[in-house]
Order: sequence, then C-alpha cells, then structure tokens
Amino acid sequence: MHAEPRIRVLIAKPGLDGHERGAQVVSYGLRDQGFEVIYTGIRQRPEQIVDAAIQEDVDVVGLSILSGAHVALTAKVLEGLRSRGAGDILVLVGGVIPDDDRQKLLDMGVAAVYTSGAKIEDIAGFIRSSVRALEGGKGSR
Amino acid sequence: MDRDLVAETRRQWEEEVLEPRVRRFNLPESPTRFYTPLDTDHGDFLEKVGFPGWFPFTAGNSPFDYWRAHARTAALFGYRPDWGGGGKVGKYGGFGTPADYRDYLLRMQAMGRKGGPNMAFDLATQCGYDSDSPHAEGEVGRVGVAVDSFRDFAVIYEAFTGELDIDKVPSNFTINAPACVIIAMYTALAARRGIDPAKLTGTPQNDILKEFISRGTYIFPPRPSMRLFRDTLTFMRKHMPLMNVNSIGGYHIREAGATREQDLAFSMANGIAYIQAGIDGGLMVDDFAPMFTFNAFGGSMEIYHEIAFQRAARRMWAHIVRDRFGARDKRSMMIRQPITAHIGCSSTTLKRPLNNLTRSVIGGIAAGMSGGLPGAYPPFDEPLGLGHSQEAVQLQIDATRILIYEAKVADVCDPWAGSYFMESLTDKIEEEALAELEKVEKMGGAIAAIENGYMQRAVAKSAYERQKRIEGLEEFVVGVNCFTGENEIEIMVNRVVEATYDPELMETAEERQKASLAALRRERDGRAVLSSLKALEAKAKDEKENLMPVICECVENDCTLGEICDVLRNVFGEAQPVKL
Repeated sequence: MHAEPRIRVLIAKPGLDGHERGAQVVSYGLRDQGFEVIYTGIRQRPEQIVDAAIQEDVDVVGLSILSGAHVALTAKVLEGLRSRGAGDILVLVGGVIPDDDRQKLLDMGVAAVYTSGAKIEDIAGFIRSSVRALEGGKGSR
Repeated sequence: MDRDLVAETRRQWEEEVLEPRVRRFNLPESPTRFYTPLDTDHGDFLEKVGFPGWFPFTAGNSPFDYWRAHARTAALFGYRPDWGGGGKVGKYGGFGTPADYRDYLLRMQAMGRKGGPNMAFDLATQCGYDSDSPHAEGEVGRVGVAVDSFRDFAVIYEAFTGELDIDKVPSNFTINAPACVIIAMYTALAARRGIDPAKLTGTPQNDILKEFISRGTYIFPPRPSMRLFRDTLTFMRKHMPLMNVNSIGGYHIREAGATREQDLAFSMANGIAYIQAGIDGGLMVDDFAPMFTFNAFGGSMEIYHEIAFQRAARRMWAHIVRDRFGARDKRSMMIRQPITAHIGCSSTTLKRPLNNLTRSVIGGIAAGMSGGLPGAYPPFDEPLGLGHSQEAVQLQIDATRILIYEAKVADVCDPWAGSYFMESLTDKIEEEALAELEKVEKMGGAIAAIENGYMQRAVAKSAYERQKRIEGLEEFVVGVNCFTGENEIEIMVNRVVEATYDPELMETAEERQKASLAALRRERDGRAVLSSLKALEAKAKDEKENLMPVICECVENDCTLGEICDVLRNVFGEAQPVKL
C-alpha cells in the first residue's frame, strides 16, 4: 500500500462520556497499521464530528460510545454526514453495545460494530476491504 | 541465618535441579521463580511491615475491619450490604429527574433498603451543563440523576426525612468538577431544615485530578480546579467537620490503562497535590488528611501483585504523609478505602461472561488477603451494558459471603507478611512507583504532569501496549484470545434483568427535566440570580477568596449549576482534551 494514498480515519467520542481508553487504543493501533488517524479527543458534539470528518476528508469515522447513548448519537452523526453529502464515509461504532442494539445500528447504516475483545487487526482488515470496495464501486472521493 | 550458606546452596540447586529441568523442556529460561531469604533485606520487620494499625500500615489499617467485627451478626440476621442501612450509604445509583429518583428511593425504602443517598449524577451535571444546554442532549438522566438547581437537589431529599434525615444518614456524591456546587446545595439543605451542618456526614468524590488522567469529566483547567478543591476542603473542615473531603481514585486510572506502578505513582502524586492544597489553604496536615478517603486501589487479575500493591500503597502513603508533611496523627497516614484489592471492570470479558464470576472471586481473595472485605466485584454481567441483573448481584454477594464464612479468607490479618516472595514484590512495586513519582515530581508534580499531558499520554500508551500484548498472544485472556475453538461450549446466560430504572421514565426524563428547568427560570427572582452570579464572578477573579460562601448564596438564590459553572468558565477558562 505504499503507492496508494493512506486511508484516513477519524476516531471520535460523541457525547459527554470521558472513558476514552478504547478510542485511544484503536487510534494507536490503526496508526500502527498504516492508517492516517485523527483522534478528536473526548466530549465532541455530533455536529463537530461531522465537520471534522468533512474538513479532514476522511474515509472512515469510528465512534466510541460507552454511555448507553449510542443509538441517538450515532443517528445524529449519520444524519449529519448524509445531509452534507458525505454519506459515503464509512461509519463504525465501538464501545459497550448490547446485542439488541447492534442490529439497530447496522440497520441505520453503520458498517460494523465492535465491542470489548475485538482485535485491531480485524478492524483494520475490515476498513481496508470496505474502503477498497467503495472506491472500486464509484471511484475515489 | 547464614546468608552465604543460603546463597551457596541456591547456586548448587540451580545447577543440579533448576537448569537441567529447564534444558529438559527446552526452555530459554525457567517459567517460575523460587524466592529465598536472599530476595529480601528484611532484617527489620518493624520498619517494613509492622503491626496492623501501626506505622507503616503495610499489614493493614487495623487488626480487623468493622465488617469483620459484625460478621457473625450479619450472618444471623441476613444483612444485605447492597441495601445499606445501619447509618451507611445505600447502593450507588441515580437516574431520570430528581422526582423519578426520589420516587425510586421511596420504593426502595418501603422494601427495607434504607441506606443514605449514594448519588450518581448524569453526565451533563458532572460536566457542568444544565439540562437545556445543547451539550446535554441525549444525556439527561441517563447515567445518573439530573441536578440543575437547589430545587432539584431538595426534591431528591424529600425521600430522606425523619429517621432518615440528613443528620442521621450519610450522603455520597459521585461528582468532581462541580463538587463545590453540590456541597453548597447540601449546606443549603441543612440550613433550610434547621440542621447544623456540623452534623452532616458523607463523601463527595471531589477528586478532579484523576478526571484529567482517566475519567474525563473535567471542566476547568487543573490549577483553578485545584483552587476549587482547596475552597471545598477548607470550607468543609470549618463548617462540616464530619464530612470526608474526597475519595481519591487509583482505580479509575488503572481502568484507563495505567500499569500498576503508574497507577500507584499517579495516585500518590494526586494525593500529594491535595495535601498541598490544604496546606496552601492555611491548615495543618493533621487538620484535614484524616478526612481523605480513597476509592479502592487495584484493578487486575494478577492476584499476588494486587496483594503486594495494597501493602506497598499503604506503606508509601504513610511515609509520604509523615515524612514529607510532618503528620503526627496516624489517621492522616492511612489509606481509608471501602474495599482494597479487586479485579478491574476492564478485566471482565464480553465473551463467555459467566467466567467473570470466577474472575471476580480472584479479586475477592486478593482483597481478603490484603486487609479488605473479600468483595467479589463486579457482578459477572458488567460488560454486557449498563445495569447489573439481580441474579448477577446475588451471585456476587454470595461469592463474597462464601469467601468470608466458608473459605475464611479474612481470618488472618496480612497472611502474606514475611513471605520472601511477597515482601520482595511489595518492595519492588514500591520502588518502581517511587521512581515514577520522582519523574512526575521533577516535572513539578501532578498538576504540571497533567498540564503537559504526560500522565494522560502515559496511561494511553500503557493501554495500547496491553492491547498489543493480547493481540500478539504474549498475554492470554481465556475465551478471548485463547481456548476459543469449536470444542469450547458457549454458556448461555439467562439474565432476567429487573429494569432497575423504569425505561419509560428514562425515555421522557429529558423533556420533563427541561420543562421543570424552564419553570424555575420563570419563577425565580431574576435580580437575585444576576447579583449572586456577579458576586461569584468578582470573587472568582481573586485567587485568595474562598468561593464556597458565594456559591452557597448562588444556589440559595436558584442559580443553576450550569450558570455557576459558566461564570467560572468565563473566569477560569476550560480544560482542553489531550491530543495523542
């Protein structure tokens, strides 16, 4: 992947929850896997995350949510991205997500949900294949 | 004992027994370690270990804890620790609007659960935002109760009157950045009820430094935050002498990813900063350090290390408080914590979650062997989402009881004292933590090491290192990165969650709370609000002023928590998250 431009990932923590271990670990991990990673830090409002995703021209947004507010916050980010014409950005969600809500998030348009025990290697693999498929389908953004 | 003879014998043993065995299994080195008197310099038992209840408290704060004294009675009468009562706080909780939480507490009391309020606040409250702030959207009443004003606070306490009035039961407030506002509300409530604040008991968490390092609910930059801490400390010592000052959390730092030594060093550095704040406030160390509490140091599965960690932590704190600050009162030198060792919630796994019961028992054993209640914690369903099921809580409490009554884990005080291995491990953990503490102190102490992002980044890096070890199979977690093959049986957990908090109320809490806040804004005396906030602003600008009296005036005049924090934000500025 030397010649290709690096895949850009925004890791973001929406809401007021400050438990950022997962977000930090995934940020470091994806960086080591060769991605360009921007970490927003905690306490971002969905609009700020949408702005950052568009400004930074990222391919992927990873939301980390442990407060139980994952459905509402994710819906806001997805809506925001779509309304700004950036609905093709891949959105992943990580955190404490009960099984019942996993499907709900996927139905809303989240590409994948990762919970405790997930491997960064797997997340990286998923992002690579999905972004490639996306680019194959409609050309680079 | 002839140390030379032991050394010579050890050499012989290595040659004749150890090395051939290592070669036989074709290992690069021995996977175990055998300890001898050579591993400790424990000539002086009294200096390094001592008797429980005496300096340096390595063996414990006392020969036995209060719960141990009452163990038989508890068994005879079926005492449930999660119900509170007997002049203790009840179960940690809180949700929805103040009225929702009040009604819940009244229901619990009708069932005999009569502990004092042990309050969880929602994140908007913890971060200093009113429920109608855009920042609060989706968060109101979710992870705790929403408190916007003194009126809200007083509504919760409608559940605590008569035999449960606030001069009879303690209150815990798990809040940090706006702790000053909640303490002011507690003071105002006592005034309204005609109760002398000197009779109030309880514990505000009031540990802002670990919020920067790990939990994230900070508002103002570290220095003004510490000024607020100083103000709460001197105010409480003067007017509420029975109140604990804070609850210093090492546990949160570990959960955020810190190594054991980082956790210990950073917690000690924070403790030092809090003591310094009291001294800067004009008090003597023994005037306030006895009212410091600690929130359960610990948080890993490594049982030997967690036992040694408790011993090292007690010795380290005792030395710091006595040798550096000249404390003479032994209560100043003790780490007062409700439980000692435990596994961390981050030690639990989402895969095969019933295994978490086994894990929590390991933590309970470590606690029982290090001077604490052998509390198996957390309930096994911890990683499944917010709220523990009744079954999981029952199993957790029973596991603790089995450790106490059947295994008799807590019948010996510091059972590991004198073990060559445990003493050497205790020394090692203390040494490494001291080295890390020295590093922090060279930067200027905890506040400086937070301002420059050192502690935050160190913790994040350690978290990542651990993840790499797990993914690289250098560290094994059962059912997660090993023993996951098709021959393993997935144990299904039948969790019948009694909805602790009414989901319908949760759903509508935000709207209802916003409506009641709007009513407050309409009904209150706007001029009194403005003039109190103005007075707050003026006093906030003068670092020497204690802000507590003016914050008390603000809450009595129905200024909201968000308004008070906004004034302080304007004067102090806001803390910024650390970039990686």
